Amino acid sequence: MSFTLHGIGVSPGIAIGVARLASHSRIEVAHYVLSQQHLDKETARFDDAIATVRNEMEMLRTQIPVNAPAELPAFLDMHLMILNDSMLSEVPKQLIRSQQCNAEWALTQQMEHLVAQFEEIEDVYLRERKTDVVQVVERVLKVLLGHPDNLPSTESNLADCILVAHDLSPADMIGFKRQQFAAFVTDVGGSTSHTAILARSLNISSVMALHNAHTLIRDNEIIIVDGEQGVVIVDPDDAELEEYQLRQHQWQIEHQKLKRLTTSRAATLDGIEIELHANIELPQDVLSVRESGATGIGLFRSEFLFMNRADLPTEDEQFEAYREVAAAMQGMPVTIRTLDVGADKPLGGLTQHTLNPALGRRAIRLCLAESALFHTQLRALLRASHYGKVKILIPMLSNLVELRLTHAAIERAKASLAADDVPFDPAIEVGGMIEIPAAALMAGAFAERLDFLSIGTNDLIQYTLAIDRADDSVAYLYDPTHPAVLQLISITLRAGEKAGKPVSVCGEMAGDPKLTRLLIGLGLRRFSMQPASLLSVKQQVLKTHIGNNVNVTQKILKASDADKMEGFLSRLNQ
Amino acid sequence: MLQQDVEITNKLGLHARASAKLTQAAGQFQSAIWITRNQRRVNAKSIMGVMMLAAAKGSIIRLEADGSDENQAMETMLALFGDKFGEGE
Repeated sequence: MSFTLHGIGVSPGIAIGVARLASHSRIEVAHYVLSQQHLDKETARFDDAIATVRNEMEMLRTQIPVNAPAELPAFLDMHLMILNDSMLSEVPKQLIRSQQCNAEWALTQQMEHLVAQFEEIEDVYLRERKTDVVQVVERVLKVLLGHPDNLPSTESNLADCILVAHDLSPADMIGFKRQQFAAFVTDVGGSTSHTAILARSLNISSVMALHNAHTLIRDNEIIIVDGEQGVVIVDPDDAELEEYQLRQHQWQIEHQKLKRLTTSRAATLDGIEIELHANIELPQDVLSVRESGATGIGLFRSEFLFMNRADLPTEDEQFEAYREVAAAMQGMPVTIRTLDVGADKPLGGLTQHTLNPALGRRAIRLCLAESALFHTQLRALLRASHYGKVKILIPMLSNLVELRLTHAAIERAKASLAADDVPFDPAIEVGGMIEIPAAALMAGAFAERLDFLSIGTNDLIQYTLAIDRADDSVAYLYDPTHPAVLQLISITLRAGEKAGKPVSVCGEMAGDPKLTRLLIGLGLRRFSMQPASLLSVKQQVLKTHIGNNVNVTQKILKASDADKMEGFLSRLNQ
Repeated sequence: MLQQDVEITNKLGLHARASAKLTQAAGQFQSAIWITRNQRRVNAKSIMGVMMLAAAKGSIIRLEADGSDENQAMETMLALFGDKFGEGE
């Protein structure tokens, strides 16, 4: 009987193959009391197990394939250091003596104690290191119990095999790399786990967080892994198999075709040029921007500089980060949004917890209230503008007073730099985010006073439809094609056209290829999105004929029934 | 015994990589080396202990070194903090 499991797709691609179960890693540990005279022997047995695992890991360290991801040696080193840590290699021996318990039990107790301490850490990344501790302990436990290897035995042809495991450690991944599985699925893990990062860099499709795949799937069963949707189909029937074989084939062709689009120019069939920019969060994201063929950065979120720390970043620190990106983009535009915290992105000390943070003192409201903080960021942005085409983007504007105060703050920052004799681009462009319905309705006034506008559709939808994006129970109401949302986008685009100022969309809508034609039809000529979506959107642009879409787009704008939207959209996307 | 307070100035604080560097450096010395933050005192030779401090940028920690090579140990540790663990920021 066919059944489907749902998890988190951490690495895209479709694989069809035979399930190979990794041995159960949640090892059952026996618990017994030893007599006094056996304690020396038990601690020696524990030492031997640690030494065996140490040898194993050092051996693996020398066997890392040349083409393995750069993170792999670092992960392995981390595991070796955890193994050699006295909290893991010494403390269990004290437990063996004080409680007269067996080595496995002593080690498990100590592991639970360590994991509990890691769980108290607030930082997500550091907290996740508890999985490294568990993985190291499990390797030692396996040696103590006498079954050393986690992976199924080597077979001649594993190309069509899919590894099913409760959990996989980076050390397991080296064996995995050698054995060339078609995909792997695990019960635990998430997108920040080491194993997920490795899966993406190895380009092997993978689904994690399936909870009980390892108990439900049996060895040798045929399974389908869809790493994009996060779906695993066990024992598929003929129809499902046929469908996924087709989709697998299509995915491979698409993947190849898309890559060839990287350097081609984005223009519609009737010759209208469309600009495709990328959104980034960290300076190092520039690499994927360049790979995607984006012609600029439409949204650089500056929040990363401010998160996960106790103090505020200095002007020099911010300047370095902005300059790095501006220089790396080699003259292509880099649009940097000023600090947008509050709401779902709290900042220690500055933002207060309120019942309704999305409507609270956030983004430009916070910056205008904290003028020293804003002044520092503006100076850093202006200084970076000397090294590339930097543009400033102001989030959450709702009225012209805020805009005037912002302009005044920018002038002050310019004057202070000029007084210090520090170079900057005096003609730096300043744009505003249109994400509050009030701003969209009076987009004309903003367009006249700014150099460009950028529609933040995520917040615009949230505020227009009155849906808290952080509240799951109203998520079903979140609808990017709600007629009211489309009206506001259309108003903003027309206002930009009238004032002769460019307008872009930088929310999730810009990266959804199903909405590309609609947005072009409404008049959008500049998109900014995750680098990963860029080529699919470009492909859609290349197949679009604006002239042919005028009628349907008009109908969509006149429609008031959200239910009809799907029909219109599929006509548009034919 | 030597002791000194240090401010953490590298961007990511005592994250996994910096913790690994610190532990490796401390491991070269005979002396016992301890780090204290918010009343939590850990062995600087223990990677897990150092990570559990979760010391972010801007936090102040106390370094202690006690043993035959304590001077050299303290100097090496301070240099690591001063150099922002070689992260450059």
